[in-house]
Amino acid sequence: MKDTRRWGLFNTSAFRMSTAYTLLVALAVCVTLGSTYLLTQSIIQGDVDLIIDTELRSLENQYVRSGIPGVTDEIDLRIDSWGRIGAVYMLAGPRFDRLAGNVTNWPFDGEPAEPYPEFRIESIEPGQRSVHPVRAAVRKLPNGDWLLVGSDMSQDRRYVRTFQIATLWGIGLSILVAAVAGFSFSFRLARRVGDVTDTCVRIMSGEQGHRLPVAGTSDEFDALAMSVNRVLDRLEEQTRTLRATFDSVAHDLRAPLHRLRSRMDAVLRLPTLESGIREPVESALREVDRLQRTLATLLQIALAESGAPLASPAPVDVGELADELAELFEPVARERDLTLTARADHGVIVEGNRQLLAQLITNLLENALKYVPAGGRIDVAVKRLADRAHLVISDNGPGMPAEERLRAGEPFARLGQRSGLEGSGLGLSLVSAIARLHRARLTLESNDPGLRAVVSLPLADAQVALASASLSRSMSA
Amino acid sequence: MHILLIEDDTEAARVLVKGLRESGYTVDHAADGRDGLSRALAGKFDLIVTDRMLPHLDGLGVIQQLRRARLATPVLVLSALGTVDDRIRGLKAGGDDYLTKPFAFAELLARIEALLRRHASAAESTVLRVADLEFDLLARTVTRGGREIELTSREQKLLEFLMRREGQVVTRTMLLEGVWDLHFDPQSNLVDVHISRLRQAIDRGAQRLLIHTVRGSGYVLKEEEEEQ
Repeated sequence: MKDTRRWGLFNTSAFRMSTAYTLLVALAVCVTLGSTYLLTQSIIQGDVDLIIDTELRSLENQYVRSGIPGVTDEIDLRIDSWGRIGAVYMLAGPRFDRLAGNVTNWPFDGEPAEPYPEFRIESIEPGQRSVHPVRAAVRKLPNGDWLLVGSDMSQDRRYVRTFQIATLWGIGLSILVAAVAGFSFSFRLARRVGDVTDTCVRIMSGEQGHRLPVAGTSDEFDALAMSVNRVLDRLEEQTRTLRATFDSVAHDLRAPLHRLRSRMDAVLRLPTLESGIREPVESALREVDRLQRTLATLLQIALAESGAPLASPAPVDVGELADELAELFEPVARERDLTLTARADHGVIVEGNRQLLAQLITNLLENALKYVPAGGRIDVAVKRLADRAHLVISDNGPGMPAEERLRAGEPFARLGQRSGLEGSGLGLSLVSAIARLHRARLTLESNDPGLRAVVSLPLADAQVALASASLSRSMSA
Repeated sequence: MHILLIEDDTEAARVLVKGLRESGYTVDHAADGRDGLSRALAGKFDLIVTDRMLPHLDGLGVIQQLRRARLATPVLVLSALGTVDDRIRGLKAGGDDYLTKPFAFAELLARIEALLRRHASAAESTVLRVADLEFDLLARTVTRGGREIELTSREQKLLEFLMRREGQVVTRTMLLEGVWDLHFDPQSNLVDVHISRLRQAIDRGAQRLLIHTVRGSGYVLKEEEEEQ
C-alpha cells in the first residue's frame, strides 16, 4: 500500500512521457550546443593555423630572398610589432639551439610529429609570471635550420572555455526547464486523471450523484469530464427509470396476487366450508405463495443486477453473520443427518447490506442442505485474505457439472434443473446478483467431491484506505 | 378495538375490512392518503393499517404527518414493493411494522394483535411466567415445574419471544424477523425445526402442552391442552 502510494506517480504514463520528453530535449540541446562548440573551436583553430601558415610561408620566402640574416631580421621586426598580441617565433640551428626569436629554448624533443604541435611557454612580465599555451608549426629550412612560428592561444582558450561553460550551463538549464515543465505537466495530468478515477470509485461505491469536476478550461480533460458526466447522468436516469419500472412491475403483479390471495383466504375462513374444498384451496394458496416468492426473488435479482447501488450500506461482520447462520441452520442439517460446521473468523468487516448478505449465505447453505445426501457434511468458513473477506461454503455432496459451475456467475443463469428440485437456479442467481452488488467475486469450484462456493468480498477498511489513497492507488491500477 | 385501514385497492380493501370485522375489530376505511390522514387525525384509532402507495399522499407521507402531529398510534405499513430498502424506509418514516403484499390474512391478524398488545403492556418484568414455565431473565434460567431446563442462548431467545407474546399467534415470518433478524423467507423449514426442538425441551413429558401449532398461521404459547 505504502509502496504503491510512493511509486504511484512514477508508474503513470504521464511521468514516462515527460521523462522521455526531457531526455529528448536534453539530447537535442546537447547536439546543438555541442556541435556549435566543436565548430567554433575548429574555426578558431583554423584561423590560427592559417595565420601560422601565412607567417611561415612569408619567412620562408624571406629566406629564399635574403638567407638566414634576412629571416633573423624579419623575425626581430615581427617580434617588435606582433609581440603584444602573442606571436611566437624561433629560428634554431640544426641541433635546435636558438639563433633568433622570442622563445628561449626549443620547446620540443627534436622535430615534432604533429603538423600543429602545442606547447606552453612561461612569460615573465613585470610583476607576474604566466603560462601561455601556444600552437605552432615547424619547418626545416633548406640549410638545416629550424623555423618555428606559433601563436599564443590563451585568449582563444579563454574564449573557448567561456563558450564551454556557457554551453554546459545552457545544456543544464535546458534540461532543468524541460524536466520541471515535464514533471509539473505529468503531475497535473496525473492529478486530473486521478480525479476521474476517484470520482468513478466513489460513484461505484454508491455515491451516484457524484460528477467529474469540470475546470472550465474547455480542454480535452473538460471534454472527457463532460462526456463521462453525460454517461453518468444517463446511467443514473436509467437506474431511476429501471427502479420505477421495478416498482410498478412489483406493484402491478403483487396487487392482483394479493387480491387473489385475500379471496382464497376469505374462502378458507368461511364457516360453512366443505372439507372437500379446503384441501384444493389450500394447495392453490401454497402455489400462490410460491409464485410470490419467485416473483420477489426475480425482482430482487433484477434490482441487484440493475447496478442500483446499495441504498444504505453499513459495516457487516461477515464472520459473525456466517457463524450465526451456521448455528441457526445446524439443527436443520442435523435433522437431515448432515454435519454442519463453521470456522469463521470474527471481525471480518465488509461494507454492505446485512439482510442481503444473510440471504446470500442462507441461499448457499440451503443449496447444500438440499443436495448433500444424508451422512454428508457442510462447512462454512470465513477468513481475511489480504484486503478481501473470503466466505467459503463447501460440501461433499454430488457437486455440480463444470459448465454449470462456470455459468453460475452470469446474471439470470438458469442453473441446476437437477433431480426435479425446483428453484435452486434462481437461488444461485440471487447469490451471484447479491455478490455483484457487493463488488464481490463468486466462484463455484469442485470440492472433490462436492461443491465449494467461494465469495470474495472487498473488506470495508480497505475501501476506506482506497478512498484516502485515491490518487496514487488508482494511478498504479 | 378500532382500526383505520387506508387502502386504494377497493377489492383488496373490501376483503380486508370483511376479514377484520369478522375477527372482531371495528374498521374504518379510507381510499386515499389525504382522506386517511384527516380521519386518522380526527378519530381515535388504536391502530392504523396503511398501504404504501396511495393517491394524493403516499403511506409514508401519512405516517410522517401523523408523527409530526404527535400521534403515537401504531402503524402497520402494507406494501407491494417489498425490497429490503423499502422496508427500512417504511420503518424509518415512523411505521411500526411492515408487511409485504401478498400476505396471508393470518399474518396480518397476528401482526395487528402484536402491535396492539405491544402498546398495551409495556411493563418490564425480570421473570416471565406461563403456567408452570418460568424464565428468569436476569439469571438466564428456565424452569418447568421447578425442574431446570437447559437451553442454548438461541433457544432462550426464541422462548423469550414466545413467552412475551403469551396467547398470541406468532407467525413464522414474525419469528424470522423478531428472533433471528432475517427479513426474507428461507426455503427450508428453519422455523419449524427450531420450534420442534424447543417443544422437545419444554413440553416433553409434561402433562399440559404449552407450545401449540396454529394451522395456517404459526405458533402460540399458552396454557391449554392441544386441541385434536
